[in-house]
Amino acid sequence: MSEESAEKISGKGTLGLVIFGPILGLLYVCLLPLIALMTLMLALPELASAKKTDILENSSACMSCHSSQEFTKTFRNKEKMSVFVNAKDFKSSVHRFLSCSDCHMNISLESHPGSAAAYESKDAFAVKAALACRNCHSDAQLKAKPNHGFIANKTNAPPCTSCHGAHTVKRISEWKPALSSNNQYCLTCHSQKISKKQKNGEMLSLSIDPSMLAASVHNKHNCSDCHTEYSKTSHPVKQFDSNRQHSVAVSAACNKCHADKYKAVSESIHYKLIGEGNLKAPVCTDCHGFHAVGPKSTYETMSGVPCKKCHDDIFKIYSKSVHGVAKAKGQHNAPLCSSCHFAHDVKVSAMTEKVKGACLGCHKDAEAKHTKWLPNASLHLSAISCAACHSPGSGKGIYLKLYDQETGKAFTEEQMVKILGTTGEGLSQKIDPHGDGIESDELWRLVSRMNEKGTNAKVTFIGKMDVSNVSEAHQLSYKKNAVKECENCHSQGSDFFKNVTVAVVKADGRLIRHKAKSEVLGSMFSLLTLKQFYVLGSTRLKGLDWLGIVMVFGGMAVPIAHITLRILTSPIREAKRMNGARKEGKR
Amino acid sequence: MKKIYLHPLPIRIWHWINAISFIVLIITGLQIRYRELMGLMKFREAVDIHNFFGFVLIFNFFIWLVYYIVTGKIKIYIPPLNLKKFVVGGLRQARYYGYGILMGEQNPHHSTPDNKFNPMQQMAYLAIMMLLIPLQLGSGLLLWDAKRFADWINLAGGIKIVDTVHVFLFLFFTAFIFVHVYLATLGHTAMAHIKAMFTGYEELEEEHSH
Repeated sequence: MSEESAEKISGKGTLGLVIFGPILGLLYVCLLPLIALMTLMLALPELASAKKTDILENSSACMSCHSSQEFTKTFRNKEKMSVFVNAKDFKSSVHRFLSCSDCHMNISLESHPGSAAAYESKDAFAVKAALACRNCHSDAQLKAKPNHGFIANKTNAPPCTSCHGAHTVKRISEWKPALSSNNQYCLTCHSQKISKKQKNGEMLSLSIDPSMLAASVHNKHNCSDCHTEYSKTSHPVKQFDSNRQHSVAVSAACNKCHADKYKAVSESIHYKLIGEGNLKAPVCTDCHGFHAVGPKSTYETMSGVPCKKCHDDIFKIYSKSVHGVAKAKGQHNAPLCSSCHFAHDVKVSAMTEKVKGACLGCHKDAEAKHTKWLPNASLHLSAISCAACHSPGSGKGIYLKLYDQETGKAFTEEQMVKILGTTGEGLSQKIDPHGDGIESDELWRLVSRMNEKGTNAKVTFIGKMDVSNVSEAHQLSYKKNAVKECENCHSQGSDFFKNVTVAVVKADGRLIRHKAKSEVLGSMFSLLTLKQFYVLGSTRLKGLDWLGIVMVFGGMAVPIAHITLRILTSPIREAKRMNGARKEGKR
Repeated sequence: MKKIYLHPLPIRIWHWINAISFIVLIITGLQIRYRELMGLMKFREAVDIHNFFGFVLIFNFFIWLVYYIVTGKIKIYIPPLNLKKFVVGGLRQARYYGYGILMGEQNPHHSTPDNKFNPMQQMAYLAIMMLLIPLQLGSGLLLWDAKRFADWINLAGGIKIVDTVHVFLFLFFTAFIFVHVYLATLGHTAMAHIKAMFTGYEELEEEHSH
């Protein structure tokens, strides 16, 4: 059966070849040119486009040099830039259909390579080169993207190439999958050197160092956690009056998470100053920075303490003090600014009470230790600031503050203003009417005015002894350097009593100082104005000294006068005695 | 010569402790107050000595008070109820010191243990012992520890007031001591009264019988 089948097939094949052979031959002869033509036609468009994409062919003259990594360009500022163009990258870019001269329009082979010194720097070159982009990409097209809002019409805008690259330009949509997080999205631009101009002309840098952000305590946050109005789809263009105003505005974001600290700040002297329009008073970002927010410990080191940015003069004094030296040596419990002044509800340590609390907070045995050698230690500690004795070389002074004897509290400026029915300025005028230093009668007039106007205010001035200069309160030294001799204070010639200040405390703790004449301490008026303040020997009444001289000399004069009279009258007595003796004799 | 036992031993001891304390307190008081004019001792030493003798004086005052009250002799300080007699006596004594003594007249007052002081002395010592010394001791005590006695000081009107009272009395006593010592020499001899304060016996001048 297999043989028979094979025969049949063999028979048919011979017949087919005979019939189809010529037909196929004819077809082949006729169709081949057609197929070739069609194939050619199909390939033609491919050839046409291949002609365009092949930069090596189109811009072969350019690439003969720019495909080499050897060539560099040097700018006037000696910056060097490689002129290498990676053909592979370019071919994958969105601009792969363009030829070199489409963008680099001004380059002709006659003049190229020209003088690189035509540009000051790499940046200047980039700005110039990037102008080519605007030939195709109109302002309207740019503004359509929110991120570009600030670029249009801004002379200081970064060049397109700084975000999009020069030869590797891709659609932003192609970048997105490569960005790991929202932050990366924002950092695409904000890691660049970009800045914006405020209304007052100040420049605000918008660059963020990604490594600093990564190292900050906020590294788990999204940009939009703080910058709530910004997202991939929203990027409002904001302009502030000044960088300062920008700082104040952005600090409000901190309140979202740190409400407790925010509230504490609202009770601080800094906040008060901001309210008064003080442009130097710090907000959150002034101490903590914008993006490089560190952990708490960052701000508790000699190098990291932010206070010194403004209070550098005081910090320098502090760093030489016993506390500063200990802190620098790594003694962690040594106090830093915030130990006494607090970190967020920053307080002015307005002389004695509050500062003393801060000192005694650590030096808990201070009173006991003073009691061992200092008579009336507690009295001394209540009237003298720690710094007055423990800051050697500091200026000294007496600060007289008006107290309500009923409550034992010092009047604030605000209270005095209210009682006297005046203004802050009016109060200053009332305290020192002639502006030439307060005299004893002027002090008395103030006390009596307060007593008249106050409902039941029994007012008196109380003196506290302190350093004459705030900075000097920070130069606290070792115990061995402290003042120990009583004579330092208990002598009328002591420095303390030459420098008298009438101090009015504002509610926020700030002091308003008025110079007073030192005679106020020893005038007879002081019996009325300073009845609660007396330093043995030093603030004695001048009048009492004179009275003493009169009394003691009077006491001596009585015997002297009487003896004189007795001497003068002795002849009378002698005569009387003789007379009496004679009479006796006669008897 | 007649002798009269005028000053009992406790009073003599009291008097001389008082005298020494007064002198020391005056000197240290001056040193405390006039540091820049005097350099006898350090301020601290002056204060310590002043405090010590201050307490001696307080203690001494109570010795005096208790002795005089217990023995009933306190009445020598009390002026007679008869005002006219007291005023006349006082004027007579004043006349003596201002005129009589110069004219060689006799002292109108004769001290006895029951009537030790002449009306002028009575007046002066009553004020001193009952008012001025307690005031001085009290103000000194307040100044000794102003913190502990803050309430009392406030009651008195303030520490400067208390100090002024203390200093004023200190000046008064300093002046008084000159007069006191001088008057002590006005016995029938210059040393008569002074000797009596040591021995207790006052010698009386022989009375001339008329």
